[in-house]
Amino acid sequence: MNFLYFDPGLGAMIVQAVVAVAAGVLLFSKNAMYKIKTLLGLKTKEDGYDSIDIDEDDTESDDEKE
Amino acid sequence: MTKKNNIHEASFRDPSGYMFYDGDSLRRSIQPIYFPQYKKLTESGFFKTLIKNNLLISHAETSVSDTEIIITPEKIPFITNPYEWSFEQYKQAALLTLKIQKFALSKGFILKDASSYNVTFHKGNPIFIDTLSFDFYEENTPWRAYKQFITHFLGPLVLAKFHGNDIFNMMQTHIDGIPVKLISSMLPSKTRLSSVLYPNIHLLAKMESKHNDDYKGETKIAKLSKKAHENILESLYNYISKLELKEATEWGDYYSKTNYDTDAFSKKKDLIRDWVLPLNADSLIDIGGNDGTFARTVLDSIPNILVTDIDRNAVDYNYKQVIKNKEKNMLPFVCDVLQPAPGIGFDNTERNSLIDRLKDFDPDVTLALALIHHITLSGNVPFEKSASFFASFSNYLLIEFPKREDSWVESLLVRKREFINHFDFYNEENFEKGFSAYFTLEKKTIVEGTQRIMYLYKKK
Repeated sequence: MNFLYFDPGLGAMIVQAVVAVAAGVLLFSKNAMYKIKTLLGLKTKEDGYDSIDIDEDDTESDDEKE
Repeated sequence: MTKKNNIHEASFRDPSGYMFYDGDSLRRSIQPIYFPQYKKLTESGFFKTLIKNNLLISHAETSVSDTEIIITPEKIPFITNPYEWSFEQYKQAALLTLKIQKFALSKGFILKDASSYNVTFHKGNPIFIDTLSFDFYEENTPWRAYKQFITHFLGPLVLAKFHGNDIFNMMQTHIDGIPVKLISSMLPSKTRLSSVLYPNIHLLAKMESKHNDDYKGETKIAKLSKKAHENILESLYNYISKLELKEATEWGDYYSKTNYDTDAFSKKKDLIRDWVLPLNADSLIDIGGNDGTFARTVLDSIPNILVTDIDRNAVDYNYKQVIKNKEKNMLPFVCDVLQPAPGIGFDNTERNSLIDRLKDFDPDVTLALALIHHITLSGNVPFEKSASFFASFSNYLLIEFPKREDSWVESLLVRKREFINHFDFYNEENFEKGFSAYFTLEKKTIVEGTQRIMYLYKKK
């Protein structure tokens, strides 16, 4: 169940389909470029920001070790 | 059920629960409507992972009944609001929000709102503070908080890139974020060619106008797959990570522009340390503290330090040092002493004014170095009024008074031109007279090698 306590904006709900397509193309070309650059040995240095993904490896490690 | 009269003014918007004061402790009441979410978030280890990664403020369960669950979050000594952040701080807060949303999605949840007030800075890092912002994810639904993310985060950041970071002040007048239409109209037309800015801002603004009068909710909402949803988040994350201010930062060499030599500079540092340490302070605020250089002289012995400055670039530089040195007890934020952040939102109480927050923070020591001449000569504030301002939240006040002979004071006076005589009151004697109305003098000395006097005052 989702309940809303503010208006998400109808236009904003619809536009996400288009935004996602643009984002998909962008990410695909970025990954492709990255692979090409890696193949050619031109891999550029990453910026200082972490990746969007959260590291979960250690979360349950204590329980699982037994 | 616990009797609560002290409901926190910032928590009325979400019916899932609310914050309240139980004596000095701030607790969160969770209402039955949110029990299913809360239980799942807790039992699945979702909260645990976020807390362990320092992304979400930790909490302890205080009581559980059929009608109410009460949790007590870790105390945050001082809350800063979005309009008080520097560019880097704002950026980090945006990235944190995206990171949490992406993680939530992977675990079957979503962020049901993406307000910038859900984030604040604590122990040197941005942290998510609204524990009840999560809801269950429904397959193939778009992100309900998407527009909020744009108006609260992407919009202000992109506007800052093109118009300078003081644009964040707009968040003071737009508590629900900057309207998309306004963001779109303020951006240069070349941003229409950007594959990120066009769909996320300009097209969004267009669609919002188009569907503005669909009062009956008749238009069908498009489906959005989980993968598509993730792509939006990732592309926003990549874009924001790379955002930089267009304006060249003038910051970084401020202290090479001081009007005294390095010897006097280090003597001033020693003096501050020598006077502050014996006060055994738990908390300190440095007002007009630039990049935190002087506050850092006591960083090793005071658990809570706030440094404010009017210059957002100085605050930014300070924050970058906090990150680099992993400082847990230094919190930089932006403040214009001549116009401190007011109380905003419903009833003017939703977000507290800076003065109210400072009164709560109740700093043991206040530093005001090379500041009074700006307040007095640029702001035309009489000494008695400055003294009353400092007295409203300070206990000990370490204040530096640059004399008329100081070159910066001289230049401020020269700029008054024919009105220069109106400022004849600017002298040591009148300064002391003004401050003695609120403070008792503990120490006074000339800062060696300068035309400045350092005072240590204690509030009466």
